[in-house]
Amino acid sequence: AAMRSRAEVDATLQTAKLNPAELLPAVHCLSFGPQAGGGECCLLQLEPGLCAELEAGRSLVIRGEKDEHAVLCSKDKTYDMKIADTSNMLLFVPGCKTPEELKADQGSCSIIHSQIAGFSKNYWELRRCRPKLKKLRKLLMEDPYEGPDSRKDQASTFSKYTTEDLLNLIQASEEEILHQLQVIDACKIEGYWRILDFDYEMKLLNHVTQLIDSESWPLSKVPLCACLEELGSLEPREMIEHILLSYGRKYVDDGEVFFEMHEDKICRAVAQMLLQNAVKFNLSEFEEVWQQSVPEGMTTRLDQLQGLALVDKSSRPETIFLLKVEDLPEDNQERFNSLFGIREKWTEVDITPYIQDLCAEKQTVGALLTKYARSSMLNGVKVYNSRRPIS
Amino acid sequence: VSRSGGTGALAQWVLLELQGEVEPRQSGDLAGSLLGDLHYTCEGVPVLIVGHHILYGKVVQLEKPFAVLVKQGGASQPSPTAPQGHYTVTALIKTKLLFKTRPKPIITHVPKKV
Repeated sequence: AAMRSRAEVDATLQTAKLNPAELLPAVHCLSFGPQAGGGECCLLQLEPGLCAELEAGRSLVIRGEKDEHAVLCSKDKTYDMKIADTSNMLLFVPGCKTPEELKADQGSCSIIHSQIAGFSKNYWELRRCRPKLKKLRKLLMEDPYEGPDSRKDQASTFSKYTTEDLLNLIQASEEEILHQLQVIDACKIEGYWRILDFDYEMKLLNHVTQLIDSESWPLSKVPLCACLEELGSLEPREMIEHILLSYGRKYVDDGEVFFEMHEDKICRAVAQMLLQNAVKFNLSEFEEVWQQSVPEGMTTRLDQLQGLALVDKSSRPETIFLLKVEDLPEDNQERFNSLFGIREKWTEVDITPYIQDLCAEKQTVGALLTKYARSSMLNGVKVYNSRRPIS
Repeated sequence: VSRSGGTGALAQWVLLELQGEVEPRQSGDLAGSLLGDLHYTCEGVPVLIVGHHILYGKVVQLEKPFAVLVKQGGASQPSPTAPQGHYTVTALIKTKLLFKTRPKPIITHVPKKV
């Protein structure tokens, strides 16, 4: 269509009975651009901070496979995406000036031909969410590392994952993924992220704790060099260092590297090793064996087992069994269903380690319980049960 | 979703929010057809003349700006059910012109030739 002229614009103003003296001199003649109807453009509503990130040149990524709800990831945060419908038509116009801009621009021409780039009745809304990290563990558990002697690795047909692979498959930001890799004690072997097979991990840990014992080193000052020297013939040096990093805090003293061993984490690992071999244990028997099994100088306590094992105080005798929070569903409702399927009524103390990770940015465990559970009193103690009948 | 290439600042576009549907006057494509004239009063009130209607609106600074995404590859359109893919951020929108008042029809006694 031919471009409108100033004369035509003025004629329209006259027909519309608008007084040009009350208007700014410049007019935008809006027409639809060549791509306008194509639907290739869409709108994304930005949460605080994202606009600044884009302006600073950083990227945002939309992640999700066909069977997953898409999420948007910035460098360090993850957002759920949802379509918001408006009943109005939204047109996006490049080069359209605001009244302030027109007034500030003294030499503005009297006609601006603007092309509408696209239009939409809806846009994507974002809501900050927990990164979906359960898949990360699942992927790495497909092929746990069993050590260099394992014949399995050479013939392995399982997928192995690089950082790049994980970024493409996990619905979380890069920082969240890298942080989680650290949390689960993953390590990079030949460029691929691996989780250690638990038995191999215990074998490595045992080497270290036995050495600590035979050398009578204090648990807070285990020398890296000596470990590598003594154990280097048994296991790869990288694995020795990895196990020290997983179960200790690295520090430098007088130029030498030492590790302060995590007593709680070691006791916890020993407990897992004992508990995984049976459905449940007599509690007092377990506590005795457990204390005897941990390295000299360490003290076992039941609170070290939060999120790992559950004590059944209602059975006679009292029992304990393995229940790992990372084996439970990631979705809030599914998690609660699962927990109430395991036990009908929970105290807040017992259930907290199993729902703590569900809390959103400013959410408390109490808020979660209010939403997903119903409370009642049992023998003078407040307990929580399911809101709905469990089939 | 990456920023469009180049070191320049992202383009700033403006959003026009209108009630109702947008339809081409003639049968056939929307592309190239005129929408209307956008004026501002001296006080900064946007006035849109669309066909035989005058729409008065207001300038709104968006609390949550928009990013305009263009899908790369052009294969399939970004839909709510399958938004995955590579996108480029073409522009940011921090301002919208909201036309919510019912359009005032222009009553003409003058022949339509214009």
